[in-house]
Amino acid sequence: MPSLAPLPSGPGPSGQVPTTSRGAAFRGLFSAAIAVLLAFAIAGILILVSGKNPFVAYWALLRGAFGSTDSVTFALNKSTPYILAGVGVAICFRARVINIGSEGQIAVGGVAASWIALNVPDLPSAVLVPLATIGGALAGAAWASIAALMRLKRGVHEVLGTLLSNFVGVLLVSEVLHGSMGEPGAGFPQSPLFPQGAWLQPLFEGSDLHAGILLAVLAVVACHLLLWHTPLGFRIRLLGSSDRAAAYAGVSVARTVLSVMLLAGALSGIAGAVEVLGVHFRLIQGFSQGFGFNAVAVALLAALNPVAVLPAGLFFGFLEAGALAMQREVGVQSSLVYVIQGLTMVFVLCALAINSKQQRV
Amino acid sequence: MDYNVLAELLAATVRVAAPLIFVALGAVLSESAGTFAVGVEGMMLMGAFSGAVLTFVTKSWAFGLLGSAMSGAALALIVAIATARFRTDHMVTGLSVNILALGLTSYLLRGLFGGKTPVINLPTLDAIQIPWLCNLPLIGRALFEQSLLTYAAFFLVIPMHLFLKKTQTGLMLRAVGENPAAAFSAGTDPIRVRAVAIIVCGAFAGLGGAVLSLQELGTFTDGMTNGRGFIALAAVIIGRWQPLFVMLGCLLFGAASALAFNLQGWSLPISSYVIQMTPYLLALAVLCGIGRRARMPAAIGRSFTRN
Amino acid sequence: MRCSESQDPADPSPMLQMQGICKRYGAVRANENINFSVTRGQIVGLLGENGSGKSTLMKILFGMVRPDGGTIRFKGQALSGHTPRDAIRAGIAMIHQHFMLVDAMTVAENVMLGWKKAGAWLHDRQVAEQIRSTSQEYGLDLDPDAMVGDLPFGKRQRLEIVKALLRGAELLVLDEPTSNLSPPEVTALLAVMRRIAGDSRSIIFITHKLAEVFRVCQEVTVLRDGKNAGRCSTEGTTRAELARMMVGREFGLATPRVEMGSGAEVLEVTTITLKDSSGLKLLDEITFSVREGEILALAGVDGNGQTELVEVLAGLQAASSGRIALHGRDLTKTDVTQRLRAGLAYIPVDRATTSLVPGMTIAENLGLRDFAEPPLRRGLRLNHPAFYSRAVSRISEFGIRADGPGATVDTLSGGNQQKIVVAREIGRKPRVLIAFQATWGLDPGATRFVIDQILALRNSGGAVLYLSSDLEELLGIGDRIGVIANGRLVGIVPREKANPAEIGLLMAGGGLLPAALEINEDLG
Repeated sequence: MPSLAPLPSGPGPSGQVPTTSRGAAFRGLFSAAIAVLLAFAIAGILILVSGKNPFVAYWALLRGAFGSTDSVTFALNKSTPYILAGVGVAICFRARVINIGSEGQIAVGGVAASWIALNVPDLPSAVLVPLATIGGALAGAAWASIAALMRLKRGVHEVLGTLLSNFVGVLLVSEVLHGSMGEPGAGFPQSPLFPQGAWLQPLFEGSDLHAGILLAVLAVVACHLLLWHTPLGFRIRLLGSSDRAAAYAGVSVARTVLSVMLLAGALSGIAGAVEVLGVHFRLIQGFSQGFGFNAVAVALLAALNPVAVLPAGLFFGFLEAGALAMQREVGVQSSLVYVIQGLTMVFVLCALAINSKQQRV
Repeated sequence: MDYNVLAELLAATVRVAAPLIFVALGAVLSESAGTFAVGVEGMMLMGAFSGAVLTFVTKSWAFGLLGSAMSGAALALIVAIATARFRTDHMVTGLSVNILALGLTSYLLRGLFGGKTPVINLPTLDAIQIPWLCNLPLIGRALFEQSLLTYAAFFLVIPMHLFLKKTQTGLMLRAVGENPAAAFSAGTDPIRVRAVAIIVCGAFAGLGGAVLSLQELGTFTDGMTNGRGFIALAAVIIGRWQPLFVMLGCLLFGAASALAFNLQGWSLPISSYVIQMTPYLLALAVLCGIGRRARMPAAIGRSFTRN
Repeated sequence: MRCSESQDPADPSPMLQMQGICKRYGAVRANENINFSVTRGQIVGLLGENGSGKSTLMKILFGMVRPDGGTIRFKGQALSGHTPRDAIRAGIAMIHQHFMLVDAMTVAENVMLGWKKAGAWLHDRQVAEQIRSTSQEYGLDLDPDAMVGDLPFGKRQRLEIVKALLRGAELLVLDEPTSNLSPPEVTALLAVMRRIAGDSRSIIFITHKLAEVFRVCQEVTVLRDGKNAGRCSTEGTTRAELARMMVGREFGLATPRVEMGSGAEVLEVTTITLKDSSGLKLLDEITFSVREGEILALAGVDGNGQTELVEVLAGLQAASSGRIALHGRDLTKTDVTQRLRAGLAYIPVDRATTSLVPGMTIAENLGLRDFAEPPLRRGLRLNHPAFYSRAVSRISEFGIRADGPGATVDTLSGGNQQKIVVAREIGRKPRVLIAFQATWGLDPGATRFVIDQILALRNSGGAVLYLSSDLEELLGIGDRIGVIANGRLVGIVPREKANPAEIGLLMAGGGLLPAALEINEDLG
């Protein structure tokens, strides 16, 4: 398998911890910025083509993202699943396990959380919300383990395994909504509203900002610690650099691959739970649409560095929030965001590849 | 099962397989030369979009098809530059252009028509009856009463097979996917071969998209390919990168989809969503069944560097 | 004197004449004023140890490397500034040790690949016919429709030869062509070579194996340390003389050796056999033991089972049968980590992808093998201070020149990289050290350092198994010297009785043990 990206080694500047040179970190940031700018420039041309002024459009995007407390809240909530799923993907990619199954894992995580919320509604909120979230995590992990086992036992490349199981996972949401969990007579495939006790509480009184963002930050910190401060993290980094070195160091490939897939699946499952418990308060058909790709994009934009997933996820969340405003106010279609994301990814990949060549010399 | 239902099922199988065959043949080229063709989903979408829009605007099928091939190739050009020149990861690059295509087609659909989503309604291509043969029992309609592009898809399989097996260029292309160093020492530039293979793959996938929008549905909707590109990739693996077997793989998925489509009309106790899962579940099951026996081109996914 | 020390152009118009070839890589003189010539219709042996300059000379001939000085004339034409393509066009073919073949294609397809005469629309029938007739003519016995991946090594080699012949090569360079062949295959190949030469083509035969030189070559040129060590006709020389020319006369390093008494047996290896998936024996009933304070040095030409042996001992591959014990404790079924814990250290040959992770720091690389054990692990966490303090002490102890424990390994020189491996494996004071070509690619200073460290471990009572193809080094370091050939251990002698020429012969894999060699009792 090809190497994904140059893997910057080491977290902070503390003398005791393996460190990365500031130059490398700066270069990474610089390439990411260039990639984003280039993507915006090309998207700007597309805005021009449709007869709008790109500067006006981008100004609307900026205001839509940061203009008010409400818009910031909206964007933060949007970023939450990207960060949760993205940090899991980053860990997988570190071990050279190309998990692109977040979308399906989010979907089944949402289904599991919804099932718990709807079926044991009388539990106190302090029990029900964690229970539903854990249920989502377990479901996501179980879903991811299918692709992992298909790779380990049957040699099915995890890209195809996760990609195809995404479609199944998403259809599963539709299936349950048209069956046992659907709201009768709603006219749209959705579940009944969850009981209040299953709602993820807002962080502040009267705000829509839910506690999921805290979970996301927690996940980032936990993954950072895992990667740099635990034996499993060491194994993950070894496996990512060379199979032979990993074997020499006594690392079990199968166990490590399974671990990272379970971890990423659980995080995606939590993302799905947070989305249904904190944003929609019900299960909705297609609620995980596009999340899987965004998780991969966020992980790569962060150069597979857990801590950097936080700003990368926020960037994607704010970008999408802003794009909705841009569509509302200027009439530029929000699907332009996909163009910006896709282009950013291509440019980031090329920039990473160039950087890694420089490092090799 | 009713005889007529079976005949209809067979005809639908062939019809559904046609776009998959275009895409899968393209993927065979790209992957035989050593590049994972994950981007075919996006290339197909580009082709579906350009084919529908150009035919709608110019009222000419020829322009539509040309446009679909070119737009697929254009997206493939991005993949080619990124993977062959910059040596980026094939899988992730493919995914990126998929999302790019999703955004671009959705944006342009509205942007080009002044912010309003146009209603694209195209007469789908009529089936061409091969006189006499189309009256054959059972298989007559499946094989001899199809649209032009369906015939084209199946007829392409043989030249593709001959190209890969019987020409110096095809030999070289496979060598690049198997052992680029050997191909290099035999006097070719593996990077260029790979780039060209990816771009031609894009053109094929684009045509596959056009079959979908022009012939099957007669319209374009956002993200209408809906994973068909990935299904085609599974067919490529099932067919072990051999055009004739890949065609059979496409027919298998065609049959699954046709069956799923038909079952929905039968008011069975199974929900339609479970039925819709069948092609994906089938793909996963077949991949697991093949297991490690699927011998990929040896150098697939690995970038080539001199020395 | 029967052999000239440099060169004597008796042949007035040789097919190939290379004169005064010089090539330096940094401070290393890979080729220093080398003269070499080939007469049409002859098979010329090119002998020399690893690093003697043979491959550089051949790369220069084939246009893969530019020489710093000297001239090349081929068939009366000057060759300079040429590329491999020019060399092929001129009629030179190089058959590398690593074949340039596509496994998933047939023999005929491999021949047609990139060959203009095969046509844009492949004339596969005609080509198949040509392959049949050519392989019949030279006794090659190749089926054009066979899949290359299914062919044994020897047949693939024949395919490379057929490719060269069909493309009109007049001078074939065969790089160690017999090193992976069984004796009957060798005999067949040598017959093929004679036929090719009889067809007024010429062959340059690069080899370590003296016996084969005498079987086919008319002439032989020996290189040593990048210089001509001698050139003579095979009729006027003996194996012993060639062996001496190859390895030189000076042996033994001036490294302090403490005489150790006969210690207890630490590592006991009993009838270890390893078969590949086709049932071929890669290791054949290998039995030996290593004592405390002893270095057992195993000599062998690359690819005779050394890689397999060290990986089986280190726990990276499972043996098909046999037993491995350390201080009497059976380790056969244990994994890498358990063997490490039992006191078995291992220095592999490949730094870039196995023994070091270039993108990780020195501290992390020093903890590569026991990061999950205390003190490097504390509870669930990695103990970074322990990584750091270990790194600081190892860096000073082993004189690793680096910016500090946090520097990544890819920023270091090869010598300093190997010091990290040595510091990690020897620094833990192992009972047994397995070292495979531990000085490979190092400059003389670093080589000396590694050897000294291994000797110091021995002097403090450690048992060492040292494998290498560098005979001089082995004779300098080993208390007992053994030879591994074709996956078998063919003899072990104490250092006092080791005779370089005879060991060289054994390495060449005749399989016969000269009377002067004492056979280890274990071998029976």
